[in-house]
Amino acid sequence: MEKLLQIIDLQKKFELHILNEKQIDALHQVTCDVNEGEILALTGKSGSGKSTLMKCIYRTYLASSGQILYRTAQGEIIDLATANEHVVLRVRKTEMTYCSQFLQVIPRVSAMDVVASGLVARGRSMEEARSATSECFERLSLPKELWDAYPSTFSGGEQQRVNIARAMISRPRILLVDEPTASLDLKTKDAVIEMLLDLKRAGTSIILITHDEHTLTKMSDRSLHLENGRLKEVVYA
Amino acid sequence: MDNNWLLRVQNLTKIYGQATPGVLERTGPLANTNIDPKTGAVVAVSNISFDLYPGEVLGIVGESGSGKSTLVQMLYFDQEATSGEVNFKPVEDGKINLFDLSNQKKRYTRNHLMGMVYQNPRDGLNFRFSSGGNIAEKLLMANVFHVGKIRIRGTDLLTKTEVPVKRMDESPARFSGGMQQRVQIAKAIANNPPLLLLDEVTSGLDVSVQAKVLDLIRGLQQDLGISMIVVSHDLGVIRMLTDRTMVLKHGHIVEQGLTDQILQDPQHGYTQLLVSSLL
Amino acid sequence: MIENKKYKDSFNYAYIDEFTKKEIRRKTLKAVCIPGYQVPYSSPEMPISRGWGTGGLHLTLSLVGPNDVLKVIDQGSDASVNACNLRLFVQEMAKCALTFNTGEATIIQSRHRVPEEIMTEKQILVLQVPQPEPLRGVERHEAKTRMMHAEADYAKIWVTLYEAYVRSGALRSGAGHPIMVNGRYVATPSPIPSWDVPNLSMARCLYLFGAGREKRIHCIPPFTRVEPLEFEDIRFKVEEFVDIKCSASGEDKAFMDQIYDDDFNKSWVINDSNFLDKVRQGPRPPQKLFTNPE
Repeated sequence: MEKLLQIIDLQKKFELHILNEKQIDALHQVTCDVNEGEILALTGKSGSGKSTLMKCIYRTYLASSGQILYRTAQGEIIDLATANEHVVLRVRKTEMTYCSQFLQVIPRVSAMDVVASGLVARGRSMEEARSATSECFERLSLPKELWDAYPSTFSGGEQQRVNIARAMISRPRILLVDEPTASLDLKTKDAVIEMLLDLKRAGTSIILITHDEHTLTKMSDRSLHLENGRLKEVVYA
Repeated sequence: MDNNWLLRVQNLTKIYGQATPGVLERTGPLANTNIDPKTGAVVAVSNISFDLYPGEVLGIVGESGSGKSTLVQMLYFDQEATSGEVNFKPVEDGKINLFDLSNQKKRYTRNHLMGMVYQNPRDGLNFRFSSGGNIAEKLLMANVFHVGKIRIRGTDLLTKTEVPVKRMDESPARFSGGMQQRVQIAKAIANNPPLLLLDEVTSGLDVSVQAKVLDLIRGLQQDLGISMIVVSHDLGVIRMLTDRTMVLKHGHIVEQGLTDQILQDPQHGYTQLLVSSLL
Repeated sequence: MIENKKYKDSFNYAYIDEFTKKEIRRKTLKAVCIPGYQVPYSSPEMPISRGWGTGGLHLTLSLVGPNDVLKVIDQGSDASVNACNLRLFVQEMAKCALTFNTGEATIIQSRHRVPEEIMTEKQILVLQVPQPEPLRGVERHEAKTRMMHAEADYAKIWVTLYEAYVRSGALRSGAGHPIMVNGRYVATPSPIPSWDVPNLSMARCLYLFGAGREKRIHCIPPFTRVEPLEFEDIRFKVEEFVDIKCSASGEDKAFMDQIYDDDFNKSWVINDSNFLDKVRQGPRPPQKLFTNPE
């Protein structure tokens, strides 16, 4: 198995100039790999740095130092921590998708359009995109009457399902997903897990943050345990 | 990858008044002023450089006096730059500085290759013409001398921008603010320009109207894939529309990066201040 | 009183002093060299007010010599009061010959009409122009209109034609349809009816346009291409006098005036008075007729 992502000595400090230069150390010397086709879980208590690590990979957070080496589909190695914005945008558009813990509500766009537009942006026709979206929503048991409604009025679980559908439908090369099964009942949890495993079988590599034991056991090949911003141990499934 | 830019701006500067040596050093965010203490010259834009790639939406955010509107007006030739170079791929493959072009070529670039939407509809539209006539002006500048084609294209554009087509022969003076903006947008994209410049297009509009106009712009960007530069003082607008953002203060770029990074992990103190001030 | 014994006459030949005549002639030559371009000139004071034909008078007086034959018309008529006054004034100042016959004249000064009869290379037509700037309706500032001409930036005037068509179904509602001279400058032919505009293109005579109040001269030299502004699908059309014959002569295919007689009956009469006379007495003089496109 080839290395897809190589994180070397990653450090993240937050400097809050408006709070009297207060510093928050979030990540220390984190070094780890992600292999192609594997599901890697990040575990740890709240505040241990799991989301921070994921956001650094996606470049929502700017790493303070260290390298995040990513091998693109063309075989090029890019350091996501320091690469040019255009490069990162390209990677985000074509290969890497991030599914945050909470749906970032795009106002006044229906659930169907939120998900389908991602596919249309990649070149598929509107009809194809809508039928793929419908399939996805069915598998996730999202009630049909919500499909054309605005997600800002949905419950947490419903929003999450829209979020996951949007992330998965484009079949990215690497998927970063933060707490995909929180707020879901057991049946939907299993549906989500099954969909993620399908993605893995189709070739997607997944980095997953989860608290849920059930999800952890069913899905992960390896898990990294973080404590106070440091990588404590690696557990093999 | 590096040469794939659509627009390349280098060292763009605008100084009102006498430009003496050291003026750029005596002004800016560190000096906390645009005004040169020695000569009284006003530095509106100071040595700004950036690239814009095809299909990208770049946001420029800043407060009053940051230079964001001046910057965009220089790109559209509404104002003359004091110094600097702008290269635009559709013009001689980006090998020539746009400011060195003859007036005629500048006008050609403005009419065919760029679109501009102003904050005040009176700046972008002629209220003595009908809304269809305003769009016709842009098409006529592109030598479309066929009334039938002009009407069809006008109808098409007004439909796209959700302006009622039956009001095509009315002057925009009778329209609401939001509809006037939409006519401006229709006019700006009439010739399918590769670059669209939007200068505070929703400031001053009612909130619900603002939302509709922004939705329209976002939709157009997704459908047509136009590269855009969106100038706003409102981070909410920036968040909705842009991929990347530049933060300006006193004519300088204090921070630039991916929009979600600027909003969630701002590095510079001024950016942190702006983000924390989001209502 | 000190008597001026040096000069017998109180006025210079043709009223204007030699230096000013020289300046007007130089500007006229410049206008001839740049077809359609408005050349500023001195526009000296005349014994008539601005707005009454001073521009035309300037050109006529700078050109006229004792061997010239002058004709002056106003809206096609030699007998109009203003035409008579101007004609007699020029004769007094220049001691030239006068005529009503279009074919005999060497200089014709006209207000708002071009004679029906084809003119030759021996003739100059001087037109009186109220507003020489075709863009004035869309742009108030002179500085901007000059830039627009320099850069051939004529989109705004095209929009006015588009708007006129959309509003009324015709490219232009009145007289003075804008023209493109020699493919470069948009000019106004003065408020002549559309009927006369085709006469301007590839003509044998010289057309001079004088605007005294605005102080501009422009020109259409002989054999110059003149195109009225029109769209690819909406073409320029001249007035059509469908099934109408002149009540005085019984002829048609000329520009007609509509008149009312004392019983309020409407009838039509040929506008060009000399042409009407000729048509009633003898053979029809040659004309350049234009057929409207479908």
